[in-house]
Amino acid sequence: MEAKHDVLVVGAGCAGMRAAIEAFDAGADVAMISKIHPVRSHSGAAEGGINAALGNASEDDPEKHAFDTVKGSDYLGDQDAIEILCQEAPDDVYQLEHWGAVFSRTADGRIAQRPFGAAGEPRTAYAADITGHVLIHVLYEQVMKRDIKTYEEFFAWKLVIDEDRCQGVISWDLLDGGLKSIGAKTVILATGGAGRLYTGTTNAYACTGDGMTMALRAGVALKDMEMMQFHPTTLAPTGVLITEGCRGEGAYLLNAQSERFLIRYAPNAMELASRDVISRAEQTEIDEGRGIDGNVMLDLRHLGAERILERLHGTRELSMTFAGVDPIFEPIPVRPGAHYHMGGVDTDVWGRTSLEGLYAAGEVACVSVHGANRLGGNALMETITYGKRAGAHAADWALSNTTITVRPSVEQDAERELKELLDRTDGERPWQIRDELAETMHVNFGVFRREEQMLAQGDLVQKLRERYERVVVDDKGDVFNTDLTQALELGFLLELAECMIVSGLARKESRGAHARPYDYPDRDDESYLKHTVVTWEDEAPRLDWKPVTMTKWEPEERKY
Amino acid sequence: MRVPLKIWRYDPVAGQKKLVEYEVDAPEWVTLLDVLDLIKDKVDGTLAYRKSCRMMICGSCGMRMDGAAVLACKTRMYDIVQSGHVPVISAMGNLPVVKDLVVDMEPFWGKIRAVQPWLDSGYSDPGAKEHVVSQEQMDVIHKESLCIMCGCCVSECNSMEADPDFLGPAALAKGMRFVGDARDKADVERLQSYSEEHGIWDCTRCYFCQERCPKGVDPRDAIAKLGAQAMEKGIDSDMGAKHAKWFVTSAKTTGWLRETELVPKTQGVVSAITEVGFAMQLFKRGKVPPPVPPHVAENVGEARALYDLVKQQGRDGAAGIVQVEHALSRVEFEHEQEGQEPYGEGSFPRPQPLPGEAEEIVE
Repeated sequence: MEAKHDVLVVGAGCAGMRAAIEAFDAGADVAMISKIHPVRSHSGAAEGGINAALGNASEDDPEKHAFDTVKGSDYLGDQDAIEILCQEAPDDVYQLEHWGAVFSRTADGRIAQRPFGAAGEPRTAYAADITGHVLIHVLYEQVMKRDIKTYEEFFAWKLVIDEDRCQGVISWDLLDGGLKSIGAKTVILATGGAGRLYTGTTNAYACTGDGMTMALRAGVALKDMEMMQFHPTTLAPTGVLITEGCRGEGAYLLNAQSERFLIRYAPNAMELASRDVISRAEQTEIDEGRGIDGNVMLDLRHLGAERILERLHGTRELSMTFAGVDPIFEPIPVRPGAHYHMGGVDTDVWGRTSLEGLYAAGEVACVSVHGANRLGGNALMETITYGKRAGAHAADWALSNTTITVRPSVEQDAERELKELLDRTDGERPWQIRDELAETMHVNFGVFRREEQMLAQGDLVQKLRERYERVVVDDKGDVFNTDLTQALELGFLLELAECMIVSGLARKESRGAHARPYDYPDRDDESYLKHTVVTWEDEAPRLDWKPVTMTKWEPEERKY
Repeated sequence: MRVPLKIWRYDPVAGQKKLVEYEVDAPEWVTLLDVLDLIKDKVDGTLAYRKSCRMMICGSCGMRMDGAAVLACKTRMYDIVQSGHVPVISAMGNLPVVKDLVVDMEPFWGKIRAVQPWLDSGYSDPGAKEHVVSQEQMDVIHKESLCIMCGCCVSECNSMEADPDFLGPAALAKGMRFVGDARDKADVERLQSYSEEHGIWDCTRCYFCQERCPKGVDPRDAIAKLGAQAMEKGIDSDMGAKHAKWFVTSAKTTGWLRETELVPKTQGVVSAITEVGFAMQLFKRGKVPPPVPPHVAENVGEARALYDLVKQQGRDGAAGIVQVEHALSRVEFEHEQEGQEPYGEGSFPRPQPLPGEAEEIVE
């Protein structure tokens, strides 16, 4: 065993760092482990903002925030978790500001807030269109201030389970090579999402669902895995994100006929309807021949150069670099792209999983705050509030429990498994499987879902998993062997794809991101107002259901 | 298209460096990062480089192309391929190479930590809500807060090449991010610490950092702002500060640089005496004007008026540093120069008014 800590945070994005800071301040010996440097984490790519009912731009309160979130979730969100988020959000945002977050400001010097999709009030606090960047750097500053130990460029691969408790992590040391196990009384997963399951995704290369699969392999359940959000404004061909903040500032979406087509889908909210609604509208326009080269157009021109330069300069930079378009003068071609996993590791409102000592927070987790559709600006808020809560609880638990066991046999098993992969010299390179998986997921498990396509995808993923058993890693070396870690990442993704398909097939209705217009076009509260829950048994997913927690909001028809 | 590329590979086990040529098929839209991915997938899985977001925000993929630092994900290949040029890719400079294009970033982060990069709000208590700060106050650190810590500036820093202990452009820009923050109350302590050896005044103003920064942070401007703030606070004991101060004094008094006095004013009289022989040689060859009477420019009034104006406008600190504007929010409207305008000819589609809405969207 390399080292021992009270709390070990896996992943160092916004949720991970916020958890580590909270645990540190509670007096725990805390460390973070991350396959990339903390500021490289994908939280930094969040653009538009973070939702909290500060009331700086209008009369607002946490209850309104909670209702918008419940409705946005298509009633699949757990209302207790949503209420906690919305109640704690304002103080958590003030905390970030006190740490130095460079928020944009109102005329009277308060944190500025902009309108966002499906929000009843302008509630999204922002830092121009680089909010995630600003937050990840402010959190890292606080990590440096506390000198929190970070195992940088350590690739977490397996959880250590002993006596039905999670007691650490086995990882691959990227810089020096070799498996290193780190013992911990509690482990907090904060590894983010799995957008790399899709070709067109806003997600970084690092977003390969590591924590979800590690939990799954440890016998922990994944919840609502069919709920993958498609963001309405991503750039072709790879899916670079164009922020919802554009529409928050007033941008239009146009089809090839120059029509603001949302008038036919969401006549009241128009471009500020929820993401699932807009992505479906766009896909319908494109499928019915009213797109332009597979895109619709995001028009910012009427906002004027000054506003674009002040509040959307990052968007302009991205459009100019990746689409060759200056949004001051031309509309930006956009399309839906895989963006955010509402589903994830099943946790309670303290981030606890069913496995003692194991926690999860942020996108890797499913508390569930977002249900079937997340509102823009709620993800960053969840990372902060639930990162904090997981950190607090894990520290508390760790400080009152004392032993850590990592048996040599566990380490030896991992060594053996890894050696088998590295020793293989004859077989397929992983990239073909990776690309095939991502391309087919996009077609067969995308914005709209058909029974037969999901079934076919299930068969395909099974075959890909068989092929994966025989993949070959070119790099046999110890130093910075990303060929190895990328192969391991593909293993994570393949199991998640299976979980998503099983969940998607079981949910025979249309709710939020799970749209089945051809066979089950409506929401069916009678049968499906419940979470899908998947565990891994005998190398295959096993589906179950779990009730949704309701506090004060009864399901209503959802219109924007 | 076929994309040819040469890469400086480094094998850390054998300790060997070699330039290897690759050529892959790629779609026209690819970036340098996409090409590296294609090589790693299809040609040689042992190629090592860092990557993550592929959208210019995570800062992982700093490396050199033809000897100058770039973000691989921001570098589109089409024009390079069309020009027939075969670019040479190598690891960033000023940092130890770990393998191929991967450098050890620890020296970089050590310098970031050395500037105490966290907000110090002193004894001021913002209360239960946020600090009240105007947008104008936040704008002071707008460029510095764009920094993604990719290391491109450090890679290109000439001062650091000469003095590996120089704090460098990234750390100093991070320092300015706090010195310029109205909520930070430790600016004097910061400026004192950044003014020490290996700090602000060791920058040679070559502007390579500014030139190569992929995010428009303008680190050299940040260093200039720190210098100006330090002098405004009277933190001017470093030779660099004294040197700069004498420039101001001589411009104000004579409209010219008073070279003869520059050395004693910068290095002190004792040290200057050792340079007397050198000064005499310069004097003999007419390179230095006689110190007495002072050589005063004809329109010295203008220099003095300029000095007074800067003082009057309170621009003698960081606010006066407007040397170069590379900030993203100020990028030139290239198209405008060609006469292009929003909704101009060929700009498609133009939004139609909604039913019941007057034709007012356009214009």
